[in-house]
Amino acid sequence: MPGKPQVLQPERDLMIDQPLPDDARRAAEVIRRADIVVGIPSYNNGRTIGHVVRAVYAGLAKYYPQLTGVVINSDGGSTDNTQTAVLSSRVEDNHLLLFSTPLLAAHRLSFPYHGVPGKGSAFRLIFQMAKQLDAKACAVVDSDLRSITPEWIDLLVRPILFAGYDLVTPYYQRHKYDGTITNSIVYPLTRMLYGLGVRQPIGGEFGISARLVSRYLEREDWETDVARYGIDIWMTTIAIAEGFRVCQSFLGAKLHDAKDPGSDLTAMLEQVVGSVFMLMQEYKSVWQDRSGCTPAELFGFRFDVGLDPVQVNVERMITSFRAGCHELGEIWALALEKDTLAAVRRLGGCPPDGAESFHLDDELWARVVLDFACAYKKNPVSRGLILRSFTPLYLGRVASFVRETETLVASEVEEKIEQLCLTFQSLKPHLLARWEANSVRSHRPQPPQAPCRRELHEQNLEV
Amino acid sequence: MIDTLRKVLEAALDRLQYHVTTYLPSLLAALTLVLAAYLTAVLVRWVIYRIFKGLTIDKFLRQSGIAFMVDSSGQLRATRLVAESAYWGILLSGVLLGVNVFGTELTTHVIQSLLFLLPKLVVAGLILLAGTWLGHYLGRSMLVWAVNEGFPSPRRLAAVVRILIMFVAVVVAADQLDFARSVFLAAFIIFVGGSVLAASLAVGLGRGRVPRFLEERPEHPGDSAERSLWSHL
Repeated sequence: MPGKPQVLQPERDLMIDQPLPDDARRAAEVIRRADIVVGIPSYNNGRTIGHVVRAVYAGLAKYYPQLTGVVINSDGGSTDNTQTAVLSSRVEDNHLLLFSTPLLAAHRLSFPYHGVPGKGSAFRLIFQMAKQLDAKACAVVDSDLRSITPEWIDLLVRPILFAGYDLVTPYYQRHKYDGTITNSIVYPLTRMLYGLGVRQPIGGEFGISARLVSRYLEREDWETDVARYGIDIWMTTIAIAEGFRVCQSFLGAKLHDAKDPGSDLTAMLEQVVGSVFMLMQEYKSVWQDRSGCTPAELFGFRFDVGLDPVQVNVERMITSFRAGCHELGEIWALALEKDTLAAVRRLGGCPPDGAESFHLDDELWARVVLDFACAYKKNPVSRGLILRSFTPLYLGRVASFVRETETLVASEVEEKIEQLCLTFQSLKPHLLARWEANSVRSHRPQPPQAPCRRELHEQNLEV
Repeated sequence: MIDTLRKVLEAALDRLQYHVTTYLPSLLAALTLVLAAYLTAVLVRWVIYRIFKGLTIDKFLRQSGIAFMVDSSGQLRATRLVAESAYWGILLSGVLLGVNVFGTELTTHVIQSLLFLLPKLVVAGLILLAGTWLGHYLGRSMLVWAVNEGFPSPRRLAAVVRILIMFVAVVVAADQLDFARSVFLAAFIIFVGGSVLAASLAVGLGRGRVPRFLEERPEHPGDSAERSLWSHL
């Protein structure tokens, strides 16, 4: 309900370096305060965003009718009907949700964000609004989701409101070939570094507490790759490294459209991996002393779901890897140890008809990733170049993974990923030694460590 | 006969005496200056080594990545570079001062020419150094881009970028030195004009083939139809 415009506190404004756009500020003054803010970043998602908004709307109405909810669409200048779809979406049939009383209308807002175009900038506007409205909890969900249900909002928000968590990350059922950057780089590396098993650190859906929102807004690196696809790992890493309470919520299946038809794999990889490496430098004092792994608490009832089949062209990926081996040796030599480079080149030199037996093993892959992390630190001027040259190596690893897991079921694939995580963990001393020294050394890997305990805590968080 | 020989010898001795009395003091002064310059250069080199070691400049350059910018192996030692530059600079100045002591027309001309040319030589050298580094960096960027996009002959594309940038650097350096300015400028115009003409002809003549190549070249895994179902993130 419209009311007296809120007088903004000066200290609070100072913490938000970039001012809110005028239309967002006016809307915040009208709404004054909210308990829950749900943000949806978008760019030309007119086809799917209506469904996402309806699910969010229904989730707020169904699970938190007593609280004030605001749904904010932060748009990157869509040229389709995204904003219209957001503002016109309705959940009119109360019977669908088995409600006896009419749904309370949550506020719905849609603003274009300013600054660097990207998901991170969209999140920044959402966080600014959440802070402005004094929200107790903030959730963000992707606008391309096809499998979102109202329950997702409850699962993302409840641990924040009623269990004192600061960050809720998603836990999905995904196809074994879906989320390959997560499975082959970000999850094993984050887990090895910070010692907390967050299975989907760049999942895209998050629940965030008010104090963590404030912490994010205090940071000054919003104009980096964080403004783009680096935002997800940035949020997760800061929360883990700075001691915020982090948990996971089981959301079911993740089915979604393409992320951004305009973005290519190399840029995406550069932004995500670059953000991981950047944060490694900042939180070196944190990760250097951590060892082993503790699984993050997992909320929600787990169930199996059917998933879309995925077609992957392995030959094309292997061709790209071979081209990299043939052409990029001089650039890889900047990053890789001699032994690692030689092993990679041997693999690239295999005859093309040997694609069936193509195998980039876990230890070689872990060494490649860790060597690139050290090269990123050591060579600030050529960081972009080094990261972009990583794409063929990544495709080689994905091709190898697909080959190895062709006949495996989901649980067996998960076991393979677990083995990769343990390999990363065993190479942590190697990473530490290389991180400190510019000279190339060789270290034997540690014996395999105890796997991350994977008991699932299905907790009850009744209001 | 003996008288004639005596006269010749006396004349030779007179000339020798004249040259010795005229040039020996200058020569001694010149040698003293060169020796002083040498001692100063050695002292300065030693002091620079000590100061830079104390300031850990090399460590800073290594950690900041500037060392890798200039030398990809990262083995560049700024201390050595600066100390040796100072050493040779002082020594060269001493030699020039020593030569200047003679005060002849030739030495004065040589010194004036060198003093006039030296700043230009330094600037031209820096331009070439910057061009080399930029060509190297952009060539590698082109190489990575071409490999990631699946273009054929990525090394040739990278080489073209390198050559183009080096050529521009040479033209600018030659212009700085006033060396064959018109020749380099004409060559540059011909090169750029020729490249544009060649590209136009290639596009015009091969207009049917270019779209076919773009259609046929291996698609990027992230750009294919698979993407609707496959997410890397």
